Amino acid sequence: MGLIHKLRKAISAGRKKAAPVDAEELRIAFRARYHQFKLLLNANNRALEIMAEMEEALKGTWPFGMHFVRARCTAVAASVFQIVKHINELAPGPYEALYERFKEIQKKINPYLSSARHTLEGPLVISLDKVDRNLADLVGGKMANLGEMKNRLFLNVPEGFIITAQAYFRFMEAGGLQSEVDRMIQATDASRLDELFALSAALQQLIIRSPLPEELEQAIEEHYSILEKNVKANVAVAMRSSALGEDAAGASFAGQYRSILNVRRETLFQAYREIVASKYGLTAMSYRLNRGIRDEDVAMCVGCLAMVDAQAGGVVYSRNPVRPGDDAIVINSVLGLPKSVVDGSSAVDVFTVSRGKDPPEIEKEIAIKVNKFLCYPDEGICRIELTEEEGEKPSLTDEQATEIALIAGRLEEYYGTAQDVEWALDNEGAIVFLQSRPLQQRSDEEAKAPPEIDRDAKDSALITGGITASGGTGVGTVFVVRKDMDALSFPEGGVLVTEQSLPRWAPLLSRAAAVVTEQGSLAGHLGNVAREFGVPALFGVKGAVENLKDLKEITVDADSRVIYRGRIDSIAKAPAKKKGLMEGSPVLETLKGASRHIIPLNLLDPDSPNFVPSRCMTFHDITRFCHEKSVHEMFEFGKRHHFPERSSKQLLCDVPMQWWILNLDDGYREEVEGRYVRIDNIVSIPMRAIWEGISAFPWEGPPPVDGKGLMSIMFEATANTSLVPGVRSSYGNRNYFMISKNYCSLTSRLGFHFSTIETLVSERSSENYISFVFKGGAADYERRLKRVLFVGDILEEFGFRISVKEDTLMARMEDRDLEYMTGRLKVLGYLTIHTRQLDMIMLRSKSVDQYRAKMNDHFKKLLAPLKQ
Amino acid sequence: MDSFKALFVDDEVEFLDTLVKRMKRRNIQATGVGSAEEALSFIETNPVDVVVLDVKMPGMDGIEALREIKRRHPLTEVIMLTGHANVEVAIQGMELGAFDYLMKPMDIDELIYKLQDAYKKKYVHEDKIRRMTRGDK
Repeated sequence: MGLIHKLRKAISAGRKKAAPVDAEELRIAFRARYHQFKLLLNANNRALEIMAEMEEALKGTWPFGMHFVRARCTAVAASVFQIVKHINELAPGPYEALYERFKEIQKKINPYLSSARHTLEGPLVISLDKVDRNLADLVGGKMANLGEMKNRLFLNVPEGFIITAQAYFRFMEAGGLQSEVDRMIQATDASRLDELFALSAALQQLIIRSPLPEELEQAIEEHYSILEKNVKANVAVAMRSSALGEDAAGASFAGQYRSILNVRRETLFQAYREIVASKYGLTAMSYRLNRGIRDEDVAMCVGCLAMVDAQAGGVVYSRNPVRPGDDAIVINSVLGLPKSVVDGSSAVDVFTVSRGKDPPEIEKEIAIKVNKFLCYPDEGICRIELTEEEGEKPSLTDEQATEIALIAGRLEEYYGTAQDVEWALDNEGAIVFLQSRPLQQRSDEEAKAPPEIDRDAKDSALITGGITASGGTGVGTVFVVRKDMDALSFPEGGVLVTEQSLPRWAPLLSRAAAVVTEQGSLAGHLGNVAREFGVPALFGVKGAVENLKDLKEITVDADSRVIYRGRIDSIAKAPAKKKGLMEGSPVLETLKGASRHIIPLNLLDPDSPNFVPSRCMTFHDITRFCHEKSVHEMFEFGKRHHFPERSSKQLLCDVPMQWWILNLDDGYREEVEGRYVRIDNIVSIPMRAIWEGISAFPWEGPPPVDGKGLMSIMFEATANTSLVPGVRSSYGNRNYFMISKNYCSLTSRLGFHFSTIETLVSERSSENYISFVFKGGAADYERRLKRVLFVGDILEEFGFRISVKEDTLMARMEDRDLEYMTGRLKVLGYLTIHTRQLDMIMLRSKSVDQYRAKMNDHFKKLLAPLKQ
Repeated sequence: MDSFKALFVDDEVEFLDTLVKRMKRRNIQATGVGSAEEALSFIETNPVDVVVLDVKMPGMDGIEALREIKRRHPLTEVIMLTGHANVEVAIQGMELGAFDYLMKPMDIDELIYKLQDAYKKKYVHEDKIRRMTRGDK
């Protein structure tokens, strides 16, 4: 115990001048401090990196989920907390108030990170008879709409009940299921498709294996018994997902979750679990990710509806989804269950019914249907091959088509927006409605009249025809996808070519330049997603796989339904910008809210009286404050203790220079006695690089040199700051290097400007960074600003990330290898010297250009040996 | 101070096995155990330099284990590695003396850097104590 106590005292000894300690003890204390300082720099660097990453994410141009928001906010908080801890260990006392500030700021961030605990009330299971639109929060949008159709519009809708959001939450919370799901998502690298596949499978397995709470099982059984009473004994049900939160961000894409048809009592629970699990299906997960929908907002409700044994079924659109100007009603229809229309797996009949005419005009395209889906007598569904004769038969009569169109029109009127309605024709010939939702339509701008087929490219035209499922043109390399394994290697910007328009290819669309399929209608899910993501899609292109599979680049013109060999520039306009899908999404809004307390920097000027802990309003402020103070504390230590070995030395380069060096650890080849240190005794990798940049070329530009060369100028420049060597002054007022083998911080005042370079360069590329701040000048504001922009421009060319606030330039670079970093440090060293007083000529653009040309020449020479 | 002893504590067996194997390949004397209780009894007989601790485990959880390790072996450094992003746990852990709070998935090189830094910290501490006790005599 006494030991630890003594240890603590030694670490904190820096504060007082008190008892004289022997050199050995000081050396140890200094080393411990340096290690602490290094850890602080590490944390500082990590905090800034995460903030930069958050800023990038805030642009909303790439997808991320709540786990990203939580992980980044947690990581940045952990780093900032470490910084606070380290500075307090470096210098106990004056910085304690930072703990309080940290907690205050964290308190403001917390609400954005905590999962919105649902405060839902309501039963676990509810009969469809009791449901209307107002219950969407309990039963999901799809079932709420169906209840509305049944109970308010008195349409023919099957009997049934709904397993509610309340039940979902109860299930997911039982046994910590949700928490385990969150953990698995967090621990996966979502940017990799193969990892996402594995994650999706594991999550679904986990849910399917979990037992239901007993009370939920009871409630489901009770409602099934009631349904038996109302319909018939051992009634078959169709179990359909009806998720909450699908409507967020204007997302209307349903059908990414499972529906299971023809289920009996024995398998109700299993089917329920499977549908809940489909929340984590790959399609659904990547959809949410791409649209910024928060996982926790999606509660899975499941509707259980008496099964309709359909002789025909399909989807009706109250408007043409790809031609908004066209007010005809479009019916897609097949024999048997409507399933194959929805999943795009087979050819469909299309009935186009004119609106407002009695009798309406009906335009028919009867497909040759090769199979149909039917219910097995006991459980499940089967696919039956059709004979040619059966397959040629229209799936609907004109009367039936007219009736369906009429009701679609009514639904549109009732909801005030175009509808997408699923229906079935039961064995008695009655039309039953299964679902209605708003229709995804192309905007008028997207649906301009098809362009003329390019006459010059006529020879390159390969295939014409098909259906425009989503308009636009795209160029890319053909990639044929037949099975899931193919999908794993789908390249960014490829053209997806596949036989069936299956929903399971939807996750690929965020990377695809265009989609071409042999089968499928615009009613299918894939078409919906393509429209939503603005990816050109041509469906029903006969022989597409066979004809395209050996080609490389093709141009798909989905508007005029032509596919060309190679890239046709006249057609492939600049690719239509994909929609900023994250814009306005809940996930992005959450990140925005949290980052307001993290990213903004208010503490700019260390000399201002406001540069104090109580003015730290954000994590960035704390980071900035602690960094400044830690450098200060490191410097003070050597001075305060009259510790010659660890106090600063003047640099000797033939003659004494106006540069001082503080060795933090292993920056010298050998220890130095006395006042001076020779440049060749310095082994700090970054300092040597900076020095090379400083000393490589003599100053030649204006103002004219007086003949004494570089040395004299450096003397002059430093003398300008009215500092006399040897006079004790604050570290900030001289040209100071603080070094170790891999670390260097340089503070300099040359001429009238003030700059700092801080850098860590080692073999650990991921920890490498350079931070550069450049400020001030003697000229007027305009010239100063111009100079800052001039320097910023150069730095950007060398790969720095820059930001300018007033006349202060901040530049950063991270994660590059040692060789790259030392090259950049040479450039910075050069700029530190050679932009001196450049603002005097900043308003004469001709001399600026000349100057720039000369600099470029110098940079080339500086970096040349690296390229060999 | 090249090779050091590290103990990895995680109830996810597959993850743990892979991690330990990869650490060994990088010349770290790594051992894996599946629970906090096992970890505590392991350290009792086989002192280690750094413990990498999962936060959420059945039985004794990571925070409790951290508290216990720090109480019994104050110089042993503890890194928390978890699949749960939770600020409160992160801060609590660091207040209790954890070296860092890391989240899966974690790049293996980054993790090794952290281990090295944590070990360096311990080494510097111990060095100081060694010299000071020598001074006492």
